[in-house]
Amino acid sequence: MYQEELLENEQVERVLSPHPLSFMRLQSLCIFLIVWGVLVGWFVNFSEYQEFFFDSFWTVILVWGFGLLLVGVIASLITIRWSIFFLYLGVLAGGIAIMFWMGGQNDAGIFIPFYSVAMSIIGFLIVELYRRSHKYIISNQRIVFRGGVLTKQERTLRYDKVSDINSKQGILGQIFGFGTIIPISQSGFGLGSDSSFAAGGIQVGEKKAKFMGIFGGGREVQTPRARSYYELHGVHPYKDVKKIVERLVQGSVIVPYQQEQVAFQKEQVDIQKQMRDLLKKQTKPDDEETPK
Amino acid sequence: MASSPIDIIVFAPLAPLFGVILFWFIQLLFIESQKYLLSKIRPKHEPLCRFTNFLGILFQTTCHALGYTVTKSGISSFYISINYGKVAPKKEKKGIFEWLSNGFLFIGPFFMPASLLLICLYFLMSSGFDTSIPETVIEMEYTFAGQMITFGTNLYTFSEGLFGFLFNIDLLHPAHFGFVLLLIFIGMGIRPSHIGEKKREKVDMLYDLKNIKNNILHKPLYLFILFLMSYLFFYVSLLLKQNWYVSLFSIFGWLSIIAIVSLAVTHIILLLIRTTDEIPGYWKFIPYVVILVSYVVMRLVFFFFPADFTNSTSLLAMILSTILSVILLLKYKTNKLKTKTPMKSLRKRKIEDETDVPRRIIRE
Repeated sequence: MYQEELLENEQVERVLSPHPLSFMRLQSLCIFLIVWGVLVGWFVNFSEYQEFFFDSFWTVILVWGFGLLLVGVIASLITIRWSIFFLYLGVLAGGIAIMFWMGGQNDAGIFIPFYSVAMSIIGFLIVELYRRSHKYIISNQRIVFRGGVLTKQERTLRYDKVSDINSKQGILGQIFGFGTIIPISQSGFGLGSDSSFAAGGIQVGEKKAKFMGIFGGGREVQTPRARSYYELHGVHPYKDVKKIVERLVQGSVIVPYQQEQVAFQKEQVDIQKQMRDLLKKQTKPDDEETPK
Repeated sequence: MASSPIDIIVFAPLAPLFGVILFWFIQLLFIESQKYLLSKIRPKHEPLCRFTNFLGILFQTTCHALGYTVTKSGISSFYISINYGKVAPKKEKKGIFEWLSNGFLFIGPFFMPASLLLICLYFLMSSGFDTSIPETVIEMEYTFAGQMITFGTNLYTFSEGLFGFLFNIDLLHPAHFGFVLLLIFIGMGIRPSHIGEKKREKVDMLYDLKNIKNNILHKPLYLFILFLMSYLFFYVSLLLKQNWYVSLFSIFGWLSIIAIVSLAVTHIILLLIRTTDEIPGYWKFIPYVVILVSYVVMRLVFFFFPADFTNSTSLLAMILSTILSVILLLKYKTNKLKTKTPMKSLRKRKIEDETDVPRRIIRE
């Protein structure tokens, strides 16, 4: 953070970035791509099932694509992010296109592992770039969240506006000492919702008379959730950072006793002001007389 | 040779039991040794130790949950972290059910991880799962000695198959490679007496044994019932002329052997980590690169120039080149393995110098 960006009396406590393993969800997509590509390569070239793939380009593509898309669909359903499916679809389409372009249909068993590894390396680099774009600045007055590879995002949160702190640490986080802290603002920034929906259909009757109905139901649960740009995502060392944030939030909150004290002090100041005005009034005629 | 009835009725059933206990003690000693190694590398490899803790607790908690499931107590809560695991039953059952679920908790972690490996080995190993009675011991099969020999033979056959598989393992085969990874992970997890976050708990081999002893002494009647059931099982096997009894204990013996092998492999890795820690800078990563490169290079050489025993030769080359690289790095990058002048020659020179003094004086 530049010096000129700091507010009056502001001091930076910590400047943080997400831990390299904190985006394991994204990295695991690349890992799967490598593992599956190498496995397909092994099946086609070295395994006892290689005769099954012998001289059959579309069989190799079918097996490779089926594995990729199946995992893509499962991962998309679990994470409710269809981008994973489309990503794998893009990788598959890209692979097929390159093979046709280069005329390497006969060497699909060799091309697929190398292509998978190359795509995974690109994937790892993009994830790393994305991770490095994150920057969290914890000062004594506010938290500044910054991020974005192309479009730069920024969120500033003052401690007196924090109503709640949510923190989570997965198994990998517990092992490597990183975790995510979501400060929820009074406006509800930092809260997301998990929604589930169930639907059923019914069809009654023979060829002529048909009755059809669809019944549905939905449910929503509020849960602390934010984009990695708007939370302290995968910060290390987790326990220390959590303690700092909690201390700073606590420091800016006025407890009931302090509120009473402030009210009392205000009352005192008012009385003093009244006394000063009275004194002024009393002393005014004397002051006016003196020059005469 | 005629066998005495007392031997058959009283002592014979104990033979495989003693065998299993012996192997189990060896396993315990390996676990203690691994714990010592982990505590030594802990300051520099905190995440690795946390990971091994987690694996140990995972197996322990899973066994505890399994105990509650088997005894139909149900599970109301299941909590697991890298330092602590807890399972709470839905219904607090007393008596034999409580005793059984405690048995699962204390003894399960020693055998459950190994049983996972045994399942994998069943599909990977070509031989070694034979539990038939050897022809040489057919006459004395139901005596103490006969049972012991049959048990030992079963273990020998399995060990032969296991080591044959391990020495010829193909690390470029996905299933074999996956098995090695599992062997290492499980080896790090066969450690019920885990090292906690802080070195304060007295959780060691004696602690485990004390727990098991307390569980036994808590309800000695159940132990008696367990023994009675074992004896009955033996008598049934005897009457039907089957080797079921010894086969059952042989499986426990196999599990112990797998656990010991797994722990031994983990020991080698931990020793490598501990040794490479002494090498400064990025040089410490060289042995790990050598492991990978040497194996792949050897396999490539054998791919273009086919020969016999390619897998075991590549494995041997990998091990030797790693050891060599570690020794060289220790010699040239650290103060270890350095000898300036051999002590004997140094002594000789000293003596010569001393005897030379008068001559020099005379010359002068």
